[in-house]
Amino acid sequence: MPKPSRRAKIIIGSSLILLFLIIGFVDPWHVFRVPFAHVQLPAEEVFSLFGFPITNTMLAAWFTIIVVVGLSYIATRKMKIVPSGLQNIVEAGVEMLYNFVRGVAGERYGRSFFPIIATIFIFVMFNAWLALLPFFGAGIYIKETGTPLLRGANTDINFPLTLAIVSFIFVEYWGIRALGLFRYLRKFFNIGGLLRGHILTGITDMFVGLMELISEFARLISFTFRLFGNMLAGELLLIAIVFLIPLVMVVPFYGLELFIGFVQALIFGGLTLVFATMAVTPREHG
Amino acid sequence: MDPEAMKLLAAGLAIGLGAIGPGIGIGILGLGAMQAIGRNPEARGPIMLNMLLAIAFAEAVAIYALVVAIIIKFV
Repeated sequence: MPKPSRRAKIIIGSSLILLFLIIGFVDPWHVFRVPFAHVQLPAEEVFSLFGFPITNTMLAAWFTIIVVVGLSYIATRKMKIVPSGLQNIVEAGVEMLYNFVRGVAGERYGRSFFPIIATIFIFVMFNAWLALLPFFGAGIYIKETGTPLLRGANTDINFPLTLAIVSFIFVEYWGIRALGLFRYLRKFFNIGGLLRGHILTGITDMFVGLMELISEFARLISFTFRLFGNMLAGELLLIAIVFLIPLVMVVPFYGLELFIGFVQALIFGGLTLVFATMAVTPREHG
Repeated sequence: MDPEAMKLLAAGLAIGLGAIGPGIGIGILGLGAMQAIGRNPEARGPIMLNMLLAIAFAEAVAIYALVVAIIIKFV
């Protein structure tokens, strides 16, 4: 049979895709349709360790850690000065992250901010991407409890909350370390204008300082819900699409999930970086 | 009106009304970014980075509305 031309390949490919779509939707043998998955907001417990409940999102986070540490170990075995293969890819990724951090925070602070920002970015991104593997979610069920064995770690509200608390603590720590405790606190309790005798600007300065203090704490909630909401919505979207049209239709949404995972990781790390940079810069006036 | 119907209505309204503001906000951000890139195509990198950051803030509000709708419907 002669090699099919490009046009023929496109026609055959798109008609096959259309055929699978229609077969999955019509489904006369009742084989492809899936029931709508039971949506559970809190993560389900899988087993207990010394009286401490281990949820399926915890297992997924451990899996992510094993994958990331394993990748780093394999990439740094027999390191060469001129890298090739996996070491090359990992070095390129780390260098891109480092340039990003240095570009926003400046030369001097980029070095000290880099480990935390890069860890947050890599952890969130790998959590989001590994949750798309076939054995996550409804892939493997535990027979006794009827719950999935693994579930993306970002869909449990505890992980985004933990990362938000870590980012909050480190931003405050960096600010206090760079400016000293009193100068850093004077950013928020800004009574310098009042003491100097300017009444109106002094009062506005004081209120602006208090607003900034409140917004420091509101960041905890906003970080948590941004990441949690995006990841939960992505998981529900995939479940809903597979329920509506079982075959083929999910593929563009997997692409969307990959993109959103990357963007949310970038936003979490990038926002932490921006707030840290703002925290270490002294006030403009006074 | 029975509680089940009220729940469904509430979930729909929560996300529907909650997405109006962020949608308009993200559109305005995109407009600003497009105009800035049009004026100065060389500054494309920093402009897009800042636009993405600002869009994340705007989208977070829509995500709050989505989480409220999900909680109303499923909890």
